[in-house]
Amino acid sequence: MKNPPFNYHRPASVDEALALLTEHGDEAKVLAGGQSLLPIMALRLGRPEHVIDIGAIDELKSISVGGGITIGAMVRHAEAEKSAEVAEQTPLITAALPYVGHRAIRNRGTVVGSIAHADGAAEMPAVCLAIGATMHIASSTQTRQVAAADFFQGFFTTSIEANELLTAVHFPAQSTSAGSTVVEISRRHSDYAMCGLACMIDAPDGTIVSAALSFFGVASAAVRATEAEAALVGKAPNNETFAAAATIVSNTLAPDDDIHATAAYRRHIAGVLTRRGLAEATSQIGIRA
Amino acid sequence: MSLPSATTPAGETLAINVTVNGTLLSLNVEPRHSLADVIREDISLTGTHLGCEHGVCGACTILLDGEPSRACLMLGVQADGADVVTIEGLANNDGTMHPVQQAMYEAMSFQCAFCTPGFLMSTIALLRDNPSPSEVEIREGLSGNLCRCTGYQSIVDGVETAIRLIASNSAGIDPVGEPT
Amino acid sequence: MTDIPDRQTSGLGFVGQRVKRVEDERFLIGEGQFVADLNPKGVLHAAFLRSPFAHATLNSIDVSTAAALPGVARVFTAAELNAVTNSFPPLFMIEGLYTPLYKCMSEDKVRHIGDPVALVLAESRYIAEDALELIEVEYHELQATGTIDQALAPGREQLWDRADGNILGDISADFGDVATIFADADRVITRTFNCPRQTNQPMETRGSVVIVDPATGHLEIHNTSQAPHFLKWAVAGLLVNDGAFRNLSRFARNKDRRKAFSAAAKAFVSTNKQKLLEQDPAGQKSQMKKDMSFLRAQARMAMGLLASNDYPTVKAGDIGGAFGSKGSVSREDIALAAAARQLGTSVQWIEDRVENLLDGGQAREERFTVSLAVDNDGTLKGMKVDAVLDGGAYASFPVSAAVTVLLWKLYMPGPYDFKAFELNAKIVATNKGKVVPYRGPWANETWMRERMLDVVAKELDISAADIRLKNVIREENMPAAFLTGPTLDETMSVAKTLDRALEMVDFDQLEQDKAAAEARGHRLGLGISSYHEAAPGPPNFFSSAQPGSDMFLHEDGRAEIQADGRIVMYTSQSPHGQSHQTTYKQVAADEFGVAMEDIEIVWGDTDRTQFSFLGTGASRGGPLGAGVMRMTARELRNQVVKVAADMLEAAKEDIEIVNGNIHVVGVPTRGTTYADVAAKVASDQAVSTGPVFKEEMKYEGVGNGGWSVATHIAWVDIDLETGQVEIPRYLVVEDCGPIINPGIVDGQVRGGVAQGIGAVFYERHHYDDNANLLSTTYMDYLIPTAMEIPKIEIEHMETLTKGENDARGVGEGGMIGAPAALTNAVSDALGVDVLEQHLPPYRLLELAGIISS
Repeated sequence: MKNPPFNYHRPASVDEALALLTEHGDEAKVLAGGQSLLPIMALRLGRPEHVIDIGAIDELKSISVGGGITIGAMVRHAEAEKSAEVAEQTPLITAALPYVGHRAIRNRGTVVGSIAHADGAAEMPAVCLAIGATMHIASSTQTRQVAAADFFQGFFTTSIEANELLTAVHFPAQSTSAGSTVVEISRRHSDYAMCGLACMIDAPDGTIVSAALSFFGVASAAVRATEAEAALVGKAPNNETFAAAATIVSNTLAPDDDIHATAAYRRHIAGVLTRRGLAEATSQIGIRA
Repeated sequence: MSLPSATTPAGETLAINVTVNGTLLSLNVEPRHSLADVIREDISLTGTHLGCEHGVCGACTILLDGEPSRACLMLGVQADGADVVTIEGLANNDGTMHPVQQAMYEAMSFQCAFCTPGFLMSTIALLRDNPSPSEVEIREGLSGNLCRCTGYQSIVDGVETAIRLIASNSAGIDPVGEPT
Repeated sequence: MTDIPDRQTSGLGFVGQRVKRVEDERFLIGEGQFVADLNPKGVLHAAFLRSPFAHATLNSIDVSTAAALPGVARVFTAAELNAVTNSFPPLFMIEGLYTPLYKCMSEDKVRHIGDPVALVLAESRYIAEDALELIEVEYHELQATGTIDQALAPGREQLWDRADGNILGDISADFGDVATIFADADRVITRTFNCPRQTNQPMETRGSVVIVDPATGHLEIHNTSQAPHFLKWAVAGLLVNDGAFRNLSRFARNKDRRKAFSAAAKAFVSTNKQKLLEQDPAGQKSQMKKDMSFLRAQARMAMGLLASNDYPTVKAGDIGGAFGSKGSVSREDIALAAAARQLGTSVQWIEDRVENLLDGGQAREERFTVSLAVDNDGTLKGMKVDAVLDGGAYASFPVSAAVTVLLWKLYMPGPYDFKAFELNAKIVATNKGKVVPYRGPWANETWMRERMLDVVAKELDISAADIRLKNVIREENMPAAFLTGPTLDETMSVAKTLDRALEMVDFDQLEQDKAAAEARGHRLGLGISSYHEAAPGPPNFFSSAQPGSDMFLHEDGRAEIQADGRIVMYTSQSPHGQSHQTTYKQVAADEFGVAMEDIEIVWGDTDRTQFSFLGTGASRGGPLGAGVMRMTARELRNQVVKVAADMLEAAKEDIEIVNGNIHVVGVPTRGTTYADVAAKVASDQAVSTGPVFKEEMKYEGVGNGGWSVATHIAWVDIDLETGQVEIPRYLVVEDCGPIINPGIVDGQVRGGVAQGIGAVFYERHHYDDNANLLSTTYMDYLIPTAMEIPKIEIEHMETLTKGENDARGVGEGGMIGAPAALTNAVSDALGVDVLEQHLPPYRLLELAGIISS
């Protein structure tokens, strides 16, 4: 389990990184925290000719506030987890991050790297879908912004082109009348979830005006339970409402079997998590000043 | 500190500077070599162990700029400019054990001890950030490290012993040990 | 946490104390010496090309591109290494057993994912792995067998030409009048139990560093072996010695060697005459009936062994756990030694985790159909078991799956008073990794039996506690011959542990807790299990399994006092986490009357320690390993006292030794020391170095029961919404006799229970129906973390016997008792018969009827 050979590049600026991506395109992989890429390489499941290490690019290392939160590509999970600004603007991120691997993994792994990796069992892509994050994507010739809903395209696949870099992700601030949480069930503590839910519920006057139920671990990519979300709108946030949504979730998700859980189990706990998540999210409403 | 840009073709080495257990080292490392292999082979510090090489078992955990990190999930070149502490860097200059080592000794925490380096590093970081964790917080703090021998109870006892040792020693915990 | 008294420097009375571990003085500062730490300069790094198919023939292999890669020293094909190595022969032979012969590499056919077909040696493991990608192999895939049912299905593709129907073993035994007992019983209750595959998974993988002496060609092998002496003999015997016959004639002409050999052979035969006569030749006949070539293979090995002047030296330093998996000689060990000998260059192989999951050792995939003949009052009368063991592709060497069947034969009725027992066991070949002993290799008999007792109790409407109390064999009926042969004495104290464990349960509280759990949407259950294990067992234990098999099972010891007064104790054990250095120093220091630091323990080096077939295994380190330490130390002390008595002009009966001060009782101020006595003897003998006192001893235990027992009680709480499990309480009441070091015993018990918890709720080594391994990383083979393993409460009962060294083994028991206690608790919680050992959340919800299966 040793990495295959590769040409190593350590650009000191985004421009330099983009030039390298333009030159090496399909043969290159971007290395940020490396907590997903390096095991893939050590297992020789991936064999990039070029590795572009963006760890020295200072301009990617910041969290900035403005209409929400923008997290740069080299911000580690641990840093975002501890950030008061992140907790203030987007508490769903703060709720999600403790579930990402273990502490040592969060110390190295990056929030944006996890999003670019687009693992259907990971928390952050689901959070992006729930919040409606915007991806800031750059190439040598242009920058563009892509909505989370258009960004994730299936099994470990995103709309990032070979010559592009996901430089940052912007998360809109959570409505003050909303509550949110992440709930998940994994085999062991901190394993990838067999099923997880990032959810948000906005109920300003005792009536739900919007809801997001974003599941992970149940499909090749994170998925929103849109029918259940629609059924929540206009209702009072109570156990009866949540149970109805849970039934819809269990009936509409189409997860697969794997060695850790059957599809039937995943559908079942998706319903359980829907009830638990919505109740917890509701209890969060108004907690933020 | 900002690092300059660099390009290293496959098979060649990159010159890096890394502080290991208080000593600044200049090394030429092949970029594909993991930090764990650099520590074990280039620096000959074999106290850091490789149990799985894919980031799950935690035996290779080191402190990187004070934070526990998997040395198997980093390239050596990613440690350029960083401060690394390994198990060999924990003891005091006079040869006495770090309070966490001493506590694990008192509690008879380990058996085969292959996992030991990682547990020491995780414990040091845990107690630095939270000097009086609950049992659940201790277990959560250790949950990124696998031990196959002990059933963990003796290691949890070791952490609890460390809490008492550190509390009775007003100097508190020294997160990175003293330079050797 | 309890306060920990520190007795490290008291100088006397170490045994029984919670003495801190000597090993930790190096481990905690990163100065352990594990095999991967050696990394000698210039060594070539090995990587094995492994089959991606579960079952296939090899049409061609082309290593030329790989061999040309810069940094690659040599690529060996399987054919090249097989040509210079002998077949692994079967060592355990039982009637009805056939063990296919195999070589260190696979050249014509691969039989499991990970089967080695080529070996690359390169400047670094990185380059060696690069070269693996350049080897071209053309396979022709065959039908693979991934399950017991497939293996037994008629017409299935066979793994081995001579193993008809993929059956490697068909072994039966019966005790008592089975037919009458079953006919007369009130009822017969039958269930089928399944346990899926598990894997030992020590944190350190396997590894071997073979250092070649350029001048002599002598091999020094640093290896993660639990049994270094056996590895030494295996390497000597399995590397082809083509000059065997030529050397043999030279050997025959060499008078000294001839004499030494015939003297050793005579001594062995005379010592073991009875046991040699007892040995059942039916096993050998079984093997020969299938495959005559095993005689040729044995002859080649024997010739090689006799002809060689130079056996390798094996050294086992610090080992990062094993749990049985490192007691086997690996095919890779032999391939590596052969490659080193061919190249004349030092080589090393440090297995990676994926390799370890593929073939580092697997266990426990077994099925039992058990019928119990019982009376309506709960009296257990008879047991009939049809068992099938999934043996994987290759038999591990020397202790194969057949040994598990032998032990089932002895243990299955458990500590209960059955009157009749019949076992029909099959071992089947499947396209999976090899089966090795895993901590209590026979353990599923306890799981199956204890689970079945609860099934029976439920059918008879009596409690799980009562059915055990009613049938457990009690001390007043001992000594007694157990139904299956071995003698039971008061050390088979299961009844005591059961009584005590039940005392420690508040059953009224349990009912309240169950109701409270139900109110939260949970279910709480309690499960009991009891077992007895031979650790080391009575003298007739191993001969009950297989006549004559106890011949190799004694423990040799040696102790010396050097001219400078240093006390050196040599053990043939190969510790890998059990803290032998600490416990043996405790035992020896007490005998010598010195501080622990005055004792040096030497282990793991075959040039310095005495032969041992098993090394560390089978719960022998306490009873036999520590026992021989104690006895050799005592003899040596007596030698010293004799000299000291002369020096002090006193009778030796009047001498005592306290804190290293050798003096007449009551006159400590006029004493001498080991150093002074040694100096005097050295001066008398006119030597300045080397041992001046020496004692060697063969030790077979104390001749009493040697049973180690326990009762486990588990409380399991299941969230009926999610299937997630908590273990609010786990209690072990164990009796391993007088404890040398409670800190170490507790650690062994807890570690074993943790592996049992892993087996039931987290760990499954998952092959699909086509024998593809799905759990090839630690993301999928789930070893529990500190968050999953609860506090484990331990109560010790130290039943004494008349023996001198009455410590009994304790390493395996935790894992033997836990799966039954946990699955019984689940059964109690859910009110259903649990017939399988592995219960992940989805399965719990299926059993509870919450989701469909």
